[in-house]
Amino acid sequence: MSSRFPVASAAVAEPALQARRRRPIVTRLGNVAAPYLLILPALVVIGAVLGYPLYFMGHLSLEHYGLFQLLKHKGEWIGTKNYSQIFHDGFFWHVVARTLAFTAAAVSLTMVLGTLMALLLRELGSKMRVLLTAGLIFVWAMPVVVAVAVWSWMVDYEFGVANWLLTYLHVGNFNHHEWFATTWTGWLIITALVVWGAIPFVALMVFAGLTQVPQELVDAASTDGASSWRVFRDVTVPLLKPIFVILISLSIIWDFQVFNQIWILLSGQPPPEYFTMSIYAFTTSFQQSQYGLGSAIALVMVAILLVVSFVYIREMVKIGEAE
Amino acid sequence: MKLRIIAAIVLAAALATAASTATGGTRRASASSVTVWVMTDAQNGWPGAIAAANAAFQKKHPGVDVNIQYQSWDTVLQKFDAALAANDAPDVIELGNSQTVKYMAAGAFSTIKAKNYPNSSTWLGGLKTSCSYNGKLYCVPYYAGARAVIYRKDMYRAAGIKRLPTTYAQFLAAGNKLMKKFGKNKNFSAFYEPGQNWYVATSFIEDWGGQLAVRGKNGKWKGTVDSPQAVKALTIFKSMVLKLSRASKTQDEAHPFPSIPFAKSRMASFIGNGWEWPYVFNPAGGAAPKSFEKKMGAYPMPSHIKGRFMPTFLGGSDLGIPINAKNKQLGADWIKAFTSTPAMTLIAKAGNIPNTTKLASVNAKNPALAPFARASKYSWFTPSAPNWTNVENSHLLKQMLTAILTNKKSVAAAAHSANKQMTKILNASS
Amino acid sequence: MRTRRARRVVFNGVALFVFAAMVFPVYWMVSTAFKPGSDIFANTPVWFPWHPTLSNFDNAIHRPHFWADVKNSLIIVSVVVALSLLLAFLAALALAKFRFYGRRAFIVLIIGVQMIPLNALIIPIYLVLSKAHQVDKLSGVIVTYLTFVLPFTIWTLRGFMLGVPRDLEEASQVDGTTRFGAFVRILLPLIGPGLVATSIFAFIQAWNEYIMAYVLLHDPSKQTLTVWLASFTGDRGTAWGPLMAGATLTALPVVIFFVAVQRKIAFGLTAGAVRG
Repeated sequence: MSSRFPVASAAVAEPALQARRRRPIVTRLGNVAAPYLLILPALVVIGAVLGYPLYFMGHLSLEHYGLFQLLKHKGEWIGTKNYSQIFHDGFFWHVVARTLAFTAAAVSLTMVLGTLMALLLRELGSKMRVLLTAGLIFVWAMPVVVAVAVWSWMVDYEFGVANWLLTYLHVGNFNHHEWFATTWTGWLIITALVVWGAIPFVALMVFAGLTQVPQELVDAASTDGASSWRVFRDVTVPLLKPIFVILISLSIIWDFQVFNQIWILLSGQPPPEYFTMSIYAFTTSFQQSQYGLGSAIALVMVAILLVVSFVYIREMVKIGEAE
Repeated sequence: MKLRIIAAIVLAAALATAASTATGGTRRASASSVTVWVMTDAQNGWPGAIAAANAAFQKKHPGVDVNIQYQSWDTVLQKFDAALAANDAPDVIELGNSQTVKYMAAGAFSTIKAKNYPNSSTWLGGLKTSCSYNGKLYCVPYYAGARAVIYRKDMYRAAGIKRLPTTYAQFLAAGNKLMKKFGKNKNFSAFYEPGQNWYVATSFIEDWGGQLAVRGKNGKWKGTVDSPQAVKALTIFKSMVLKLSRASKTQDEAHPFPSIPFAKSRMASFIGNGWEWPYVFNPAGGAAPKSFEKKMGAYPMPSHIKGRFMPTFLGGSDLGIPINAKNKQLGADWIKAFTSTPAMTLIAKAGNIPNTTKLASVNAKNPALAPFARASKYSWFTPSAPNWTNVENSHLLKQMLTAILTNKKSVAAAAHSANKQMTKILNASS
Repeated sequence: MRTRRARRVVFNGVALFVFAAMVFPVYWMVSTAFKPGSDIFANTPVWFPWHPTLSNFDNAIHRPHFWADVKNSLIIVSVVVALSLLLAFLAALALAKFRFYGRRAFIVLIIGVQMIPLNALIIPIYLVLSKAHQVDKLSGVIVTYLTFVLPFTIWTLRGFMLGVPRDLEEASQVDGTTRFGAFVRILLPLIGPGLVATSIFAFIQAWNEYIMAYVLLHDPSKQTLTVWLASFTGDRGTAWGPLMAGATLTALPVVIFFVAVQRKIAFGLTAGAVRG
């Protein structure tokens, strides 16, 4: 078109060009410096609190550092001996496998149940929605230490209400049931507790995301005759993808590091079958006073977590760059 | 409008931050304050003793702030370790008497001279040992606890037990009578013994001539829970538990405290500390009215050897001054005030065994506390190995007991693998 | 019409059941707080506190330093929420709307930070803060909490920003507003639900954290409510009634906060709907 009516098109283009040219150089520079200024405060906080501790932890992992060394504020350099000790220990690999299995189970359950909960919230009238949301917030608001205390009270050997209820409903005789004597029932309780605590957050986040799905798109798709499942799959999920990726990666990161629930449910003395990596790192440091070895375990844990969540992290970065 | 909201938030945050650093105040250790870490047991059980100690201390040091910070058992050592690492240690710290060896061996405490402290010539031998390392003294005994059998007088009477057992054989017989009379109720135990209560299991081991660990001539420690005597004792322990107890086999003596199901009549007896007695009917956490106390009694656990009691674990706490504390002299003076006769009397009256034999008579007439003091005549203590605390922290003895009682392993096999693990931890370089 | 009613009934029924199942432990905590000791340890569970008592609450409130600890928790939490929202909004803007060198490194950093187990850093962080004289001070705790709350808040806000269609932002730039002005005026209301969700998250994380507050704050008058709560489970047994009462009180502010911001969710929703 510009070739046919060069003058006319030039006349139209000129004001836009002028507008752009009118932006002073300061703003251009401002545009370049802007992102760095924006991330600076957060960077300063994180760096100040974590910078040296992380370096210190790395250093610790290469040292023999027990109570004696702690008092002298000086560790004994042993190079990579801590790491080779970990890698040659069969127990360590069992702990890794157990942590991975638990994380997979907990994350899947949390995401599925949480999303279902969010969908349910969307379908409700405002009164029921407020009620259910309030319930979810109550669950989310409970301090973890208290939630675990209540759960352990519910499955208590002597007075547990869950035991009583299960017996009453003739599911079996759960009087004096030793939930943690059998590994799989013990892990069932732990997983249920963790998932129960994680659902509200996922449900509320997904629900918040659902509210941002433009109604016109949904309406357009349904008038085209798509079933609600197709609409969900083809319209909603792609729009929610960034949120799902965030939630899944965070769930992986958090569930991999689960500590409080296992620790408190088992009264601060979990048997070896209930060790996850964070518990193993903690007990090695604080109960066996092997701070160097414990730091090495913690760092290996971070490395494994990076590997496991790598796919999701890459997804997240990709989504960001597609803009 | 939005910008105004943002500005308001930032302003509020700035103000609050300023407020927080201001109210933070400089409560750092200074010559005008002394920092004391004791357990919440003192806060809940004998606050009068703390008050008395503070008053006496303040008379001697007017103008010095006493900063008492109550700690909980399961997290205090993490905090202490962090504080030690940063030279932020308190001036006085309470440690369990089986934890002191580890810290003494690592050089965490300053030496003390016994003669500077009240009643030191009559300190309880067991506690004094827990404060000694390589011939030097590193802490001050605080209080001790012994265990005895707490029982229901009315249930014993109903089952036809006319006299309290004085031998182990009589104890078993009494237990059988109780199970015959009340055992039909699935919740009932003649003798409630949680499977992981290793204190009682070790009492059995000690009674039959065994020990937890010994130190060889070469200085290396060796676990001895798989010795013939120990295995015999554990076998007897197992058969007793399976016959007389319906308690959990995967939990220990603190989860739950037997005092609560005891108040609900789920057992005729259990082994407990003196302070567990009032907990049964303590309205803040107990489950029975005060009148329940009339039905309760206590007697030392009988030995299989005539004329003796089964050795009880002599638990307790000590008070130490960390080596990098800022106000060691003030700390020492506070300990002197807290272990003086007036304060120690109050500690004893709260249900503890005082740190000096001089005050043993305080509880002698109290029928609720006297049997516990009597039981302390025969006692055992944990091996004085620097790494013993790490063995306890690994809970390997508890897991050994669970494996035995749930038939996952035979007594000999479980003891043997526990022994191997124990020896490894005891000799690990610290 | 019939199917719509039936649908509604089914959904409401499901919602009620889900509500009951999820909330039961919370209900158990609150009802136990009102029960006398004899009901708490009854052989058959007492489902409803038929003989309610306030003695547990009385016991809890009169424990030492209760009100001081409430004040401390409130200060810490409000500062953490405010600062984290501010810092995260800025950083999320950078990540979502700008392309800059080092962006990927920053992303990896904030994701990586969340993977480090907090328990392993207790002693190192204590050492750093001690050198800066921030031990036993609320500000030390605030800064530590910010470190652990920021990564998530940045990430989430970025996600919400990405979910907003680009043309809106660009439309506002035509009439000459600066880019930042467009961000604040257009983007902020649209990610309202995101701001609310992340502020609730920051609130809960800061309110419920235990181990760092325990290690960093020594003076009992400076501690937070969760540390105060831990004093109920002494080694001499758990005082269940007072513990549940204290727990109920501890959970209350979060609920109040949610109710307060609940209107903002509605505001965000309507703002989205009005935009035609």
